[in-house]
Amino acid sequence: MRQKVQQAVSPVFLKIEQLDEDKYGYLLVAPVFLVLGVLAFYPLVRTFYFSLQDDDLTGVHPIGEFVGIENYVQILSGDANAILTSPFFDLQAPFSSALIVTLLITGVSVAIGTILGLGMAIILNKEFKGRRYARTIVILPWSIPIVIQGMMFFLLFQPSLSPFVEPLANLGIFSSNPLISSQDSTIIIILIDIWRKIPFIALIIMAGIASIDQNLYDVAEVAGATKWQQFRLITLPQIKPVLFIGMIFYTISSMKIYGIVEASAGCSTVPTLTCLVVQTFRQQRWATASAIAFLTAVVIGVIIMVYVVRFREADAS
Amino acid sequence: MSEQQYSGLTGRIVKYAIHNSTDVYRLGFWVGLVSFIMITLFPFYWLLVLAVTPDNQLYQMGIVPDNFNVGVFLTVVQEYPLHHYIFNSILIATITVIVCITLGSLAGYAFGRVDFPGKGPLLLLLLVISYFPGIAFLIPLFELLTGSLSILGTPTPDLYNTPWGMVFPFTMLSLPITIFILTTFYSQIPDGLEDAARVEGTTRLGALFRVIMPLSAPGVVTAAIIVFIGVYREFFFSFIMTDGSPENWAVLVYGILNFQQQHTQMYNMMAAASLIGIIPIAVLVILAQEHIVRGLTAGGLKE
Repeated sequence: MRQKVQQAVSPVFLKIEQLDEDKYGYLLVAPVFLVLGVLAFYPLVRTFYFSLQDDDLTGVHPIGEFVGIENYVQILSGDANAILTSPFFDLQAPFSSALIVTLLITGVSVAIGTILGLGMAIILNKEFKGRRYARTIVILPWSIPIVIQGMMFFLLFQPSLSPFVEPLANLGIFSSNPLISSQDSTIIIILIDIWRKIPFIALIIMAGIASIDQNLYDVAEVAGATKWQQFRLITLPQIKPVLFIGMIFYTISSMKIYGIVEASAGCSTVPTLTCLVVQTFRQQRWATASAIAFLTAVVIGVIIMVYVVRFREADAS
Repeated sequence: MSEQQYSGLTGRIVKYAIHNSTDVYRLGFWVGLVSFIMITLFPFYWLLVLAVTPDNQLYQMGIVPDNFNVGVFLTVVQEYPLHHYIFNSILIATITVIVCITLGSLAGYAFGRVDFPGKGPLLLLLLVISYFPGIAFLIPLFELLTGSLSILGTPTPDLYNTPWGMVFPFTMLSLPITIFILTTFYSQIPDGLEDAARVEGTTRLGALFRVIMPLSAPGVVTAAIIVFIGVYREFFFSFIMTDGSPENWAVLVYGILNFQQQHTQMYNMMAAASLIGIIPIAVLVILAQEHIVRGLTAGGLKE
């Protein structure tokens, strides 16, 4: 049996053996790109195609006639708000419009999370007893299931259980049931996002710090530079590229925030962009949902462009 | 600067700080470290307190437990099929890891060790996928994997409520990072070792599986762990691709959410279930901390 199999496949192996370097390379990457072609590139194109069609709520297949950019016009002008569970963009109701809520969560979370992550990276980069354990502990929040991240904070802000809700309410920071208030819940979502992303950005920054030439610090030390000056003039410029990549990944991930919302306050309280797409999809409005999904991708693309331009400018000066 | 500026308690502290700056840095370091660890661990601690508090005492609990009801962990497993959800999660994550490592090794070898035109653009294409949010793939993937799409009159197989309905999207999401990690590790094996094997009569593919992969075992393990954690913690497709019952391959996401929706007051059970759900990940993190750190940075920094 074994011999038979070997006989059958050996011509194939012989063929592979005789391929030149280029063809061998293409042969090896072919399976991956075949899989990704079906599971990634085709869906991306089809999402865009869907977004140019009409919703069909009565047909067998939820996609109707070609309508061009009509869906986009309806969503951006606010005409689609009547059929959406929450508006895409409405300045009158900032905490219930998907784009504003998502941008707010992302902006605040990235700003605070990156600064704290930088702090954590500097601390965990020092040699000290038990550093291994400290590192193990701090990567836990990132690695646990998203549904549990949400559940933890859902339990932490349950008014009937939590010892914090009442004091926070007395201070006027939160209402007496923060998980049903859009404004309070948005703050809670930001807290969860910061809590779980600090380790991620800290690890990336640590890799950057580790690659800095130690001689630079020795020279600075001899020249009498204080620790703060060393940080500002050596560490910060040296880790800038790494920091920039880390912030891009952080931003992308916060822009698609969904699971922790579903597991804590719920999509009707904190309607993020992904929430809005899922809810619209569940109403069988595939075309409208695709248009919102595509708009989300565009918004993320624009933000990345802003980062790249800023980085280039900072690099040039 | 006159001495007068340093009078009073604050003044003395400032003066001390200026003259003993290393002590101040050391103090700042320890305060920072302890705060980070406390902030990190507090939600876990809170889950533990909540889990062990008997349910009739839930409403007057503080932040230190009065009673220890350890039995709650048994109840969660005996009365609810929590272990079934966790089993589904682990199985689906394992299948995804095997698929990704196999496909990713071929591509990682090509990107790391073979010279062919168009390598850069192809790697960039992989990176592009990780820029898109899950929702950009959702609807066509759902159509394709639930049998709603016909190709030449034959509908695609309906994979809703099967493990494959999740394995396919997870493979798509995990392949880019697998390839980035494996490319980095495979490219570091010296050419001489591979050549030696080839002289001995090993085929090219044989050299990949018998020489390169074993020599990059740490890299393969790193990629496998990163993919496993990524799938185990995933929410979006896990939530969409099943109806939520464990017989239909629902994963941990539903194991936790069903408590919230069906047993609304059983907060101690929710906490116990969450803690049990964390165990597989906690074990991995403790055993393979170095791998995770390396994988995250290798994947994140590959540009």
